[in-house]
Amino acid sequence: MKVMISIAAGLGLASAAYAAQKLGEYQPERPPEVTYAKVCGYCHGKNVGPIILGRKLDTDMIKAVTRHGRNGMPAFRPTEVTNAELDALAVWISKSPARTEEHGK
Amino acid sequence: MSEFELNRRGLIGASVLGAAMVGLASCDNKGTLAPGVSKADFAGAIKAMRSVVGDEWVFGDPEAVMPWGKVYVPDPNGRHVPLGAVCPRTVEEVQEIVRIANKYKQPIWPISTGKNMGYGMAAPATPGQIVLDLKRMNRILEVDADLGTCLIEPGVTYQQLKDYLDDNNIPLWIDVPTVGPIASPVGNTLDRGVGYTPYGEHFTFQCGMEVVLPNAEILRTGMGSIEGSTAWQAFKWGYGPYVDGLFTQSNFGIVTKMGMWLMPRPPVYKPFMIRHDNMADVPKIIEAMRPLRVSSLVANCNLMMSASYQLAMFKRRNEIVPDGQPLDDASVKKAAKANGLGMWNTYFALYGTEQTVAAIEPIIRAQLTASGGEVLTAAEMGDNPWFHHHATLMEGGLNLDEIGLLRWRGAGGGLAWFAPVAAAKGAEAEGQTKLAREILDKHGFDYTAAYAIGWRDLHHIIALLYDKSDPEQEKKADACYQDLVTTFGKKGWASYRTGVNSMELVAQQYGQTNRDFNKLLKNAIDPNGVIAPGKSGIA
Repeated sequence: MKVMISIAAGLGLASAAYAAQKLGEYQPERPPEVTYAKVCGYCHGKNVGPIILGRKLDTDMIKAVTRHGRNGMPAFRPTEVTNAELDALAVWISKSPARTEEHGK
Repeated sequence: MSEFELNRRGLIGASVLGAAMVGLASCDNKGTLAPGVSKADFAGAIKAMRSVVGDEWVFGDPEAVMPWGKVYVPDPNGRHVPLGAVCPRTVEEVQEIVRIANKYKQPIWPISTGKNMGYGMAAPATPGQIVLDLKRMNRILEVDADLGTCLIEPGVTYQQLKDYLDDNNIPLWIDVPTVGPIASPVGNTLDRGVGYTPYGEHFTFQCGMEVVLPNAEILRTGMGSIEGSTAWQAFKWGYGPYVDGLFTQSNFGIVTKMGMWLMPRPPVYKPFMIRHDNMADVPKIIEAMRPLRVSSLVANCNLMMSASYQLAMFKRRNEIVPDGQPLDDASVKKAAKANGLGMWNTYFALYGTEQTVAAIEPIIRAQLTASGGEVLTAAEMGDNPWFHHHATLMEGGLNLDEIGLLRWRGAGGGLAWFAPVAAAKGAEAEGQTKLAREILDKHGFDYTAAYAIGWRDLHHIIALLYDKSDPEQEKKADACYQDLVTTFGKKGWASYRTGVNSMELVAQQYGQTNRDFNKLLKNAIDPNGVIAPGKSGIA
């Protein structure tokens, strides 16, 4: 299942493959664009945090900043964004093109 | 270029970068141990916890623990640095961890999602604690669409709950604090936080808890102890003493499940903004709003926002005044006006049917126009980002706009909420605003504040914003915060809630009898003092 989601994410099909959380079950692993939309994207690109898409940012730096926060950014623990989610997220952010609807500095 | 842009507000050290890659925990922590706990006790507790939740979910060395230690509150002496973290998945694992904590006398600091932003995040009140991180316990256990109730675990975020309701077309709203997407309904309710729909007084809308007691037994409150009851989330009081309040802002147990009431989505939702042009309008606004709130003609918790607080969300301080200069009213007023804001901006909404909203609106318009305010709606405000922010909150919508506050000053990253209570009277608010401005001016900080107008009370929400990357400014912010608490206390104004940086100080203000009673309970319920020592000043 995990492998399937990763492949789907790579093809940009993750939303279709992403299983929503069901009653009585734990939150399933989120593909990177879901994590971005539900966590990162509330600040980055919304004039709260700096724009991070389309900048080919280094994946190790993305992971370090996520775990520790920087300045005004909160830290996100492995209980919030799992190591597997973060690995995929860092690659996705690094490779994603800029979005015209995003703004901020 | 992009690298520079992201790094321009301060590089984190190479060691931190390295630390992020460290996933495995050893227990060579050299931090301060809790009183009476030896290095061998700590190591024993960490080892035993590993056997419960697995190596992957225990963190015992300083680098691996760092994500649990990031705080916005001033901590110039490093008192709020956790020594470890343990992350259970089930209530049985929580029980085992509590037994281990008792065996080794190792204190544990429970958190839900650890996003208590300007109140200390995931960090403990005193040194030497292991954070009990419940974020992995994130199941939504029940939602009753007919009753408008739910039962959830502590690690569920407002985002998860809203997604579940949306995915299943359940016409119930959530009620969010300002950082909803990443915060926990359980955590916020247990800290007696507020939101902005008519269900905004969160503890009022809580119904039933499951609690792991310090002796590792499980208590279910209200109807939860009755086998076969279907009313655990429907009837709050159960039988005999009502104990749910004992588990809020306290350290008498670990809440592992919580029931909540959810508001049915109303047919009509209409948000309003009332714009007042002068700082001195504070008493007029409160006097105008109070009868509307007491009568519930306006049913939601209002936010009455100062222009400076509003500007700080989306602007930087040096866009308003040059660095080093005081934030004067004239400059704030100019910037506010340019952005469609007044010096005070009060947000509320009407909820109901076409007929009920149409009936109430003229009464409210007349009352607020008479107070000197301009009554504005989506028709006038359009896509104004501040109006949009509040209109989103007042229908239980999600955003993280308020994190923008953290960039107000320099590299930023410093925020401590000071939240004194007052009765909803104009003179009280006028006095609080005057005093807050005097104290903040004296210490070189800005009055970035709002009033949350409750049913009969005010929470004066003062954001002490500072540059945490500057150690001198952090020390000044710490001194300013203590001054605010102490000076307000002398006037009879004390906090409704406070951060880990000031729990002891605020507890002192509530008096010795109150403290002794809490201590009596603590000694009886948690004789080894292992659950969150220092929470609300109870050790």
